[in-house]
Amino acid sequence: MTAPLLEIEDLHARAGDKEIIKGFNLTINEGEVHAIMGPNGAGKSTLSYVLCGKPGYEIISGNVRFKGKDLLSMSIEERAREGLFLIMQYPVEIPGVPTTAFLKHAVNAIRLHRGEPELDTMEFIKMVRETGKSLGIDNEMLKRPVNVGFSGGEKKRMETLQMTVLKPDMAILDEADSGLDIDALKVVAEGVNALRNGKRSMLVITHYQRLLNYIVPDFVHVFANGHIVKSGNKNLALELEEKGYAEFIKDKA
Amino acid sequence: MGGLIQNIKLIGADLPKLEALREKGRNSFLSQGLPTAKTEAWKYTRVRELADDDFVMEETCGSDCSKEHSSCCCQGKCALPFDAYEIHFCDGKLREDHFHLPEGVQALPLIDAVAENETTAFLNKSFEMQNFPFAALNTAYLEQGVFLRVESGVCLDKPLAFIHHSHGGVKRFANLRNIVVLETGAQATLIEVYQYSGEAKSEYCNNIVNEIFIGRQAVLRHYKIQSEALKAVHIALNAVKVRENGLYESFCRQKGANLARQETHVVLQESGAEAVVNAVYMMNGWATLDTTTDIEHLAQNTRSNQLVKGVVGGQAKGVFQGKIHIAPNAVQTEGYQLHKALLLSDEAEVDVKPELEIFADDVKCSHGATCGELDAEQLFYLQSRGIGAEEARQMLIEAFVDESFQMIKDDNIRHWMKSF
Repeated sequence: MTAPLLEIEDLHARAGDKEIIKGFNLTINEGEVHAIMGPNGAGKSTLSYVLCGKPGYEIISGNVRFKGKDLLSMSIEERAREGLFLIMQYPVEIPGVPTTAFLKHAVNAIRLHRGEPELDTMEFIKMVRETGKSLGIDNEMLKRPVNVGFSGGEKKRMETLQMTVLKPDMAILDEADSGLDIDALKVVAEGVNALRNGKRSMLVITHYQRLLNYIVPDFVHVFANGHIVKSGNKNLALELEEKGYAEFIKDKA
Repeated sequence: MGGLIQNIKLIGADLPKLEALREKGRNSFLSQGLPTAKTEAWKYTRVRELADDDFVMEETCGSDCSKEHSSCCCQGKCALPFDAYEIHFCDGKLREDHFHLPEGVQALPLIDAVAENETTAFLNKSFEMQNFPFAALNTAYLEQGVFLRVESGVCLDKPLAFIHHSHGGVKRFANLRNIVVLETGAQATLIEVYQYSGEAKSEYCNNIVNEIFIGRQAVLRHYKIQSEALKAVHIALNAVKVRENGLYESFCRQKGANLARQETHVVLQESGAEAVVNAVYMMNGWATLDTTTDIEHLAQNTRSNQLVKGVVGGQAKGVFQGKIHIAPNAVQTEGYQLHKALLLSDEAEVDVKPELEIFADDVKCSHGATCGELDAEQLFYLQSRGIGAEEARQMLIEAFVDESFQMIKDDNIRHWMKSF
């Protein structure tokens, strides 16, 4: 019997005056990979931001439990330390902060929370370099400031590297394929797949079915008008690819 | 205001030239008075604290003084983490009168240098008193300070550091005058550190004038840390003259005092002369930290570059006034200036006054100023990776000022200044 990792119950949330998430329900068990697909502007990114606690979004009602704990009452960093990780659609550039220094802070903050000893610089560098190698990230990239001057593909590989070293229990991929050519997409997908282990769960948010050829989901949900309008298995994604989202958007009217 | 002109006994009263100069300083200060809000050069920085009549100009004690100071509580307090020639000041007084410097480098207490006629060409030759009320006041009390000369072609092998400690107790007003002369092709690194021992709320004032003369092809790198007590006043003028192909490069980090002003006035006198004036100021509370620069390009092919970054929190105020003047015949010159400030609270304030006076054609000149808050997207990104909110803020603040610190080429000095 698998335990529920993330439980979202009747979630309503808004950005400014506009209600974007309207009665969203979803339970993700340990080890499951769920895909959420939907038309542009449906609020897919908002869902990922609300779950990670990004400022600027207001919860109107509903509950979210992560590993049985009340997720919505946690700070951004507490959610991360508890094991939630978001691969962002547009990772922000942070000039002046070297990538390795940033990663070391993050890794040690999370290790401290888990009661693990902090890594010293040598151990850390070794671990990051080895992980980087498998994702095509060389030492030069690691020395540069966070995401500064990285191409779209490099940014996504860096997100994947962060996820790999932070070892979250649950990863949310927000349009992880946007801006990627097919080779970069494969590298990212391989990085993600390498983390699938029967315990770790994933929520893959995407507009296109393409990514799901590489990261094959257990469940596919259609997200429109602020909530899930249809659920199925991976074949639902293929169906959407063929028919588009028109029938779901129609409901809106 | 007359409160700052006090009848105290100064060393060197037997030197007529010096006495005459002091008298000029007194008169110049009395005719100007303390700057007010109407004084254009001081419009953003108020010196109300100094209008109180209770500051004390301290006389220098006799020959026992150095012994007394050798057991001073602050001894060894500021050990530099790298090798340097150190000259110590305690409450604005020199702690020793013999300095051990290598051949080709001459250092004397100012009064001794005046007595030996070493200073004739330099003392009060780098600024006009009527434009600098505090330098006029400083002239009225000429006594403490160092005369340093690096002879032609000599390259000082280690930095020379002026290390200042101030104590609480007396509400002391100290005046310091240093003269630094680099002859043709000489090279040196000068460090100044101002810090306090004892009460963080000690009230005192340090009024410093450095007169710097850089010869042909000479290079002076000048680094300063101002970390005075939180209620102290610190007013400093670097008046610099640079000759042909000479370079003056400075970096000032201000982080203490309730009221501080670092004014840098560089005159690029001859072709190929260059000035680099960088600064970082960071403060909270109610402090006012002022960075004022004035770069005069008087000859062709001269260059100047300024990068000043400020981080202001609490109800503090940052002031940046930067002037670049290019004289009519100073063609093919380059003058760049950039000020960037980060405001950490709603009540923090930054006042910026850039001025370009360009009287020549065929010059490259620019200035820029930005003012902003910590980037919310960057903060979210760091926190979403498990980094605590406060730590994330700190990382972004450090990242903001890092660009400036990178201008310091020497690794030891850069690390020291960053982590001070």
